[in-house]
Amino acid sequence: MGSTTLQKKGEKRFSLKDLSIQKRLPLLICILLLCVIIAFGLTSYIGVKKAALEMGRERIKTLSEQLSSMFGQAAKDLTSGTHTVANQPPIKNYVLNGGRGPDTAALPVLQKLQLDSSWILVELYNAQWKPLLRTGATELKLNKNLDSVISFSSPGPDSCKIGKLVQVGDSIYYAIVAAVTDHKQFIGYLVRWRLQKATAKAIAQFSELLGSDVILLVGNADGTLWSDMNKVVSAPPLDTKPKDGFFEYATPKGGQATSTIRPIAFTPWFLLIEVPQQRLLEAANRFRNWILILGSILLIAGIFAAWLMSRNITKPLKTLTAAAATIASGDYSASVEIGRSDELGKLAGAFNTMAQQVGNARYNLEKIVEERTTQLQKANKELEAFSYSVSHDLRAPLRSISGFAMILKEDYVARLDPEANRLTDKIITNAKMMGRLIDDLISFSKMGRTEIDRQIVDMKKLVESCVAETLQREGENKCQTEIHPLPACYGDQNLIKQVWMNLISNAVKYSSKNPVPRVEIGCTESDDKHTYYVRDNGVGFDMKYAHKLFGVFQRLHSQKEFEGTGLGLALAKRIINQHNGDIWSEASTGEGAVFYFSLPKSKLP
Amino acid sequence: MKSEVDILLIEDSLDDAEMTIRALKKIKLDNNVVHLENGQEALDFLFAKGKFETLRLSSQPKVILLDIKMPKVDGIEVLRRIKSDKRTRMIPVVIMTSSSEEKDLVTSYKLGVNSYVVKPVDFENFTRAVVELGLYWLLANRSTQ
Repeated sequence: MGSTTLQKKGEKRFSLKDLSIQKRLPLLICILLLCVIIAFGLTSYIGVKKAALEMGRERIKTLSEQLSSMFGQAAKDLTSGTHTVANQPPIKNYVLNGGRGPDTAALPVLQKLQLDSSWILVELYNAQWKPLLRTGATELKLNKNLDSVISFSSPGPDSCKIGKLVQVGDSIYYAIVAAVTDHKQFIGYLVRWRLQKATAKAIAQFSELLGSDVILLVGNADGTLWSDMNKVVSAPPLDTKPKDGFFEYATPKGGQATSTIRPIAFTPWFLLIEVPQQRLLEAANRFRNWILILGSILLIAGIFAAWLMSRNITKPLKTLTAAAATIASGDYSASVEIGRSDELGKLAGAFNTMAQQVGNARYNLEKIVEERTTQLQKANKELEAFSYSVSHDLRAPLRSISGFAMILKEDYVARLDPEANRLTDKIITNAKMMGRLIDDLISFSKMGRTEIDRQIVDMKKLVESCVAETLQREGENKCQTEIHPLPACYGDQNLIKQVWMNLISNAVKYSSKNPVPRVEIGCTESDDKHTYYVRDNGVGFDMKYAHKLFGVFQRLHSQKEFEGTGLGLALAKRIINQHNGDIWSEASTGEGAVFYFSLPKSKLP
Repeated sequence: MKSEVDILLIEDSLDDAEMTIRALKKIKLDNNVVHLENGQEALDFLFAKGKFETLRLSSQPKVILLDIKMPKVDGIEVLRRIKSDKRTRMIPVVIMTSSSEEKDLVTSYKLGVNSYVVKPVDFENFTRAVVELGLYWLLANRSTQ
């Protein structure tokens, strides 16, 4: 059962209705703003990103075109220069002589072609690719690969070509081959080998031009070798053979890259410019960051504004609530000053009017209550005075009646005849009866006015003393009594004793005509109360009169049968009711009666 | 005029007074009983004023039996005057009344009454109560005098 309750508590879901207005309004505005910011930010970011990529492509396209034309121009200059040298007379003559003449004229020309250290080797071949003359780093075995570097399968006269890039060791070389012609006939070839090496200055210029993270590669058009102008690098991860156009791929370092490839004129080379997309999207990302910052500022400002607004609404409501609480606690002077003329202002006005009216009504009510209380107190005092008079003034003559009747009997018993004695006895008996009646009436009327003095009452002990007292008063001990265990109660000992005395003496009285009178006293227990009972085997009564039993002056038997004032049970009922208990009875004519009374099981102090 | 008084009975009801004296007579304590019918008389008697101006008691009464409800000056007032005067303060005072009002009982004890007896309604008990009172206050009790 406990776990079910716990579960139910846990299941309690978040609901907007549980939030205060002051929180709800900013929350709603926050959600609204967030939606707007996200939608606007996302669409504009996508647009900006697309534009940035487009712009980036455009830029690297332009760049690659410029670079390729620059390289192509350089290549053209190189080839035409080499071709001019190759057809100078000293070279021509030397080749025509088949390399057998003195090289004094040809060699300086070749050596002159080694403009700097990058021009590593200059060679002269005849038409059958037989070397005639060479100068420079002759130890390099570059010529072996010459066929694969330059294909002159169908060489035309005046032609000069630049070969593929070749790797030897760590270095990369390329050849510029110019045909040596005479009368439009091939007679030999001039080959210049150059180490491909970009100077530090050139690299710095490039990176300044392109940006440090942009990669510039030059490679063979057939895709066999790629270099960064200094050394061999791994081929870019293209999914097709290199060709003119744009490519997009994931770089081995991670991240997306956009690249463009362009052929370089007058060479069998391609030029590749690779830009990380990050770089292209830099502007877009900056824009995104701005959007985020602006959005956050907007959001915070919005929430703050909404909070201010809702506080503006809820503050008067709180003032109203506080005023209502003040009134609820009994201070009717509370009024609300909101100082605005909108709906809340009207509400405050209505509240103030209401508070004033309630205050007035309460003041009037208090006055009426005060008046009534005074009247009641007066009436109560009169009643007290009356009962005082009754107790005093009725007793005194009564005592005289019974007293002088007794004196008559004591002093004149011999001189009165039996009838006179009998009449005197009647006077005495009736006077006694009336005395008891007055006593009962006084205690009955007192019951309503006196405070009950609660304490723990030992019921068992109390009942035993009541039974003993009753039997002693009755003077006959033929009545059997059985007392079961009785739990203690919390009440006024004197008053509870009156109840027991009444019930026990009734039981003894009404069972006195049974040959074997028997009285049983006990108690039953339930959750919240103890029910005590007194059972007799006396004359009982008809249940249809049960409701009359506890009324004032209600008697079910004649004075001749059983004497009594008709006040005992009424008094018992009053006492039990004052103890928040109940009293009732069950009986049938001739078969005895049971009287019950219950008392709440109050916590014992 | 000089006399000795054992019991001063202050009682407006002649019937009650008669029955009281009759009860005292039974135990032969009725010789020095003075019966006064109201509070004013009682005060005059005790403080030798008015018609008792010439009265000179050889000693104070041994006990005063005092009714509460009386015309003119009631028993409570008489009690107050007795207990607030140093001449009469030591005299035992027994309130004998028909009233069992809590208020009277409390007031009386506050004023220093020595005993408070509710007159039993029936004659037998009444006689018994008076007899016990007389025996106690005149014979058993040892006062300061």
